[in-house]
Amino acid sequence: MSSATTQSGLARARRGVAPGGPGTLPGKRKSKLSAQATRTFFWLLLPSVVLLVLIHGYPLIYAAVQATHDGDLLQTGNFVGVQNFTTVLTSPAFWKAAQFTLWFTIVGVFGSWLVGLGLALLLRTKIPAGGTFKVLLLLPWVVPIVVSSTAWNWLVATPDSLIPSLFRNLGLGTPLFLADPTLASITVMVFKVWVSFPFMMMMISAALASVDTTVYEAASMDGASRWQQFTQITLPLIARSTYISWILMTIFCVNDFPTIYLLTGGGPVNATTSLVVLAYRTVFQDFATGPGVAIAFLMTMTLVVISVILYRQIRKSSVE
Amino acid sequence: MNATSEQRRSFSRRGFLGLTAAAAAAPLLAACGGGSASQGGGGGGAGGTIKFWDMPWATPAYNDAAKSVAEGFSGANGAKASYQIIQWNNFYQTFSSAIASKTGPAVSTGGGFQAFQFEQQGQIAYADKVIEKLKANGQFDDFLPGALDPFKSSKGYVAVPWQLDMRVFWYRKSLFEKANVALPTDWPSLLEAGKALKKVGAFGFTTGAGAGNNYANHSMIMMMVNNGGGVWNKDGELDLMNDRNVEAMEFVLELVSNGIIDPAAVSYTTDNMSAQWKDGKAGYGLFQVNVPQRVGDTSGDLLVADPIKGPHGDKATIVFPNNIMMYTNTPSQDASEEFLVYYLGQLKQLWQKKLMSALPVFKSITEMPEFANDPNNVKIVKDWQPIAKTFAAQGSTLNANLAALDGGQALNQFSQTMITGKADAKTALQTFQSGLESVLKK
Repeated sequence: MSSATTQSGLARARRGVAPGGPGTLPGKRKSKLSAQATRTFFWLLLPSVVLLVLIHGYPLIYAAVQATHDGDLLQTGNFVGVQNFTTVLTSPAFWKAAQFTLWFTIVGVFGSWLVGLGLALLLRTKIPAGGTFKVLLLLPWVVPIVVSSTAWNWLVATPDSLIPSLFRNLGLGTPLFLADPTLASITVMVFKVWVSFPFMMMMISAALASVDTTVYEAASMDGASRWQQFTQITLPLIARSTYISWILMTIFCVNDFPTIYLLTGGGPVNATTSLVVLAYRTVFQDFATGPGVAIAFLMTMTLVVISVILYRQIRKSSVE
Repeated sequence: MNATSEQRRSFSRRGFLGLTAAAAAAPLLAACGGGSASQGGGGGGAGGTIKFWDMPWATPAYNDAAKSVAEGFSGANGAKASYQIIQWNNFYQTFSSAIASKTGPAVSTGGGFQAFQFEQQGQIAYADKVIEKLKANGQFDDFLPGALDPFKSSKGYVAVPWQLDMRVFWYRKSLFEKANVALPTDWPSLLEAGKALKKVGAFGFTTGAGAGNNYANHSMIMMMVNNGGGVWNKDGELDLMNDRNVEAMEFVLELVSNGIIDPAAVSYTTDNMSAQWKDGKAGYGLFQVNVPQRVGDTSGDLLVADPIKGPHGDKATIVFPNNIMMYTNTPSQDASEEFLVYYLGQLKQLWQKKLMSALPVFKSITEMPEFANDPNNVKIVKDWQPIAKTFAAQGSTLNANLAALDGGQALNQFSQTMITGKADAKTALQTFQSGLESVLKK
């Protein structure tokens, strides 16, 4: 049997086509089977659909009601149409929070990806105590955020904390990492990268593990440099996994409340207030439920759009 | 390619979008999804059990003692009480969702202005009959002067106070001795003391405005009130731009520009602030009752200072009268009232066991040796309590709008702006006023 025939046979087998061809069914029987299958699928899917509607549909509808009313957590209040959205969209605080969320997400996603990628590649090489190293690298992801944020607070909060003291001893002044708006923003983003890189590292490690090493051997024999192997083989082969991890990390970053709130509370002077922190504070500190839920709605819509765009990238990378 | 199409099939567009929508909906769920409405242990709707919800006001030992007191209740008609701790985190959501689903408490402690918020929504049972019973058993006359007044609305007593969370100035004696400066008695001497303390590496107006820390908020309002100002006028209308407030905030900015307020204080949590006190970096500043115990320095070096006079001779501080409220959703209103009277009568146990970080509302408790043996406590009762005003100052009655003020975004931003000294007093106050106006219920 020729190689072409073998490949063709395998392809047919994967499609579930018998050697004799796809065959044909009498028209009536086919449609009867199809209708039966549809009914079966419907009843099999129904419990999941009901569950999804209850879990996600009800809160979404309830949130939509709250976003279009002027009530509070107990009472729906009066219908105000899109007034809450108008209030939010014309508020400078919203746009400032949106801007911070954007930077926080960009740095959080790509910062953690770069660190995760670097460490995943490093872990592919044989290093002493590699297993221990792997476990230790997972700690930032595993440790509860309340604990790690408290630890970070003690490292940077006061002029006498460890890191500012280190800077002072090196003659670099005494930076106020959480009191200066710019430094506080950077600190929160670095904290996010620190918390998130193990997730990226795991995703990339899993993707790298599925790459056949013979591809590299072949490329090496063809004279490809290490950099060319990285850019022409490694990155394309882990592209799907990368896009998925970007989507997930984007959602994690945009929705991230504890990382920011526990470290800075959104301050100083709103410098680190993200949209989700703003939504929380609007609902639970200002008791303005409608505008707070409107912020959450706008975030959700934005996330869906971003996710669809990235999903298209996944499809594109799959086709390629 | 077949492999690719297989992968694509296993990762369908619909499946992906479903997952994405579910994940993306998280903020909606976080913002509005009903938090778990913790239910009281006894099931308040049956068997005449009064569900009493309490907050972690002090160490876990406090809650153990309070639980024991609550569960010791035995009503005339066989009514009992159950005890449930509600964490501060998202407490308003917890109460709201429980009340909305009729699974809330019959009686509770809670946020300082919570009773007024729920009163607006028709969920509060007025405590007038409780007050009558307290008059009958003599406890009414035992209240410290002015403790009960803020709770009397036009419809009745919205709640009954049980402890006073007082803000007073504390100082570290050794630092004043080291700086060779006298304790402040007015604003100019506060400025001088601050400058002297700075020379010995300490701060003369210790505060904090970081995550979850309201002391800077309280310090700002205290300085306004100490100058005869306040957030509201006597009629309860917003009045931030009055001259006294502007003058007070200009003075705070003077403290900032002289380095008397720690520039890092803008990000200090309460733990950071306590550490500053413990480490001898804090020379003077506004704090609560029982600071030595809180910061872990009972050497006698941390002492309550005298109240200071504003430039016009005013002398005042702020107090948060924490209260116990009753709800309309109760198995028996009579039992709720009976429980509240009983619980108020047992409060002395909590101070006897030295579990509280606040002042009692009853004179008899302030006279107990367990309380009066601490000279700091005595000084607070004698010198600070009589001049204490609530967040409603210059008005006198508490209301639901104060909840949006206390811990709200407008006040937080204002305090942080003041500490960083990034705006002049009038601009900062104007922004504060606009921020508050946008969230206050008309």
